[in-house]
Amino acid sequence: MPKDHDKDVYPEPSSRTPVEDRKSLLPNPALILSKLFYYSVDLPVTTFRDVIEGIQSGKKSHYYHQKFRRVPELTQCQEGDYVCYYEAEMQWRRDYKVDQEIVKVIQERLRACQQREGPSYSQNCYKELQQFEQVSKAFQSRYGDLGAYASGRKCLMKQKERMMAEQQQA
Amino acid sequence: MEDPASLCVRLANQRRPSSRTPSTVMVGMSLLRTAAAFTARLNPLKRTCQSSNLLSRTVARSEQVVVRHGSHGKRMFIIKPTDFYDRRFLHLLKYYILLAGIPVAALVTFVNIFIGESELAEIPEGYEPEHWEYYKHPITRWIARSFYDSPVKDYEKMMALIQMEAEKAEMRHLQLEVRRHMREKGDGPWFQVQTLDKNLIDHSPKSSPDN
Repeated sequence: MPKDHDKDVYPEPSSRTPVEDRKSLLPNPALILSKLFYYSVDLPVTTFRDVIEGIQSGKKSHYYHQKFRRVPELTQCQEGDYVCYYEAEMQWRRDYKVDQEIVKVIQERLRACQQREGPSYSQNCYKELQQFEQVSKAFQSRYGDLGAYASGRKCLMKQKERMMAEQQQA
Repeated sequence: MEDPASLCVRLANQRRPSSRTPSTVMVGMSLLRTAAAFTARLNPLKRTCQSSNLLSRTVARSEQVVVRHGSHGKRMFIIKPTDFYDRRFLHLLKYYILLAGIPVAALVTFVNIFIGESELAEIPEGYEPEHWEYYKHPITRWIARSFYDSPVKDYEKMMALIQMEAEKAEMRHLQLEVRRHMREKGDGPWFQVQTLDKNLIDHSPKSSPDN
């Protein structure tokens, strides 16, 4: 079975407290719906999956995440060394993808937190909100309006502009 | 058009002699009549009864089925535009799509059920995974293993191309530089204009002052 999500990162709200104070005699519709979902969707899917994995009882093959070595960046390349430019460009692209995924993960956490907490999310999810704000500001300042033809050189030029603007302000 | 059996019966009825004494002719006629009636019922050209009551003299009672026709029982010939071409097109479409679709779907189903996807694992110490071991689905792994070069090899190929192009650009730039220098200074091997050998000059017209 694939692993469930990390319970530390996406904690579920506790189901014991507060004590339910039912005033009406009608059954709880949320409970009914969750039981319905469990028996109609969750249980058949899980048993099907277990059956399939019973058939596949053999040596499982593994797949890995590729680890890339760090190479000199664009600022550390000699001028005219096009091979060095290429390697720096490829590394910058990989880092761009990684940063996009980081932003997606932070967004997902904020979304999950909001879903959990309901109306009081702005108070209970303060940490996730701050984290999201920080990460998205950083992403915007570094990769913000580079566009579809973004490259390492353009990002470097954007950084230069940013540093010049900061120096002018100071 | 009467069938032959009923014709025989009719003629046998007509030709019956009216004498009262049973003669051989009458016996023969009655036998003929029985045989004709028998063939009439069991005519192979008009087989209507079931095999269970083939030789009995009973007739199966057909059930009157109540069928509701939209045309109140009368058989209609509905005149509408032809749907032959449309149905032929749809039939051929389904046929050609399923001709390759069903084997491919079966293959993918069996691969997913019996081989299954890979699991994510940490790279063991000191082990360099092959380039196909970075993919999850078995068919993707097979394609990467059998047909594609590894991404490392592609990277190196690209770097080799860049290196060759860079060298060519460098050579061209150097050639222009050298050309400029040699044109200016004139002491290099290029842009040499061959002049005649001095020994070939005939100085005889101006060799002595009084010539």
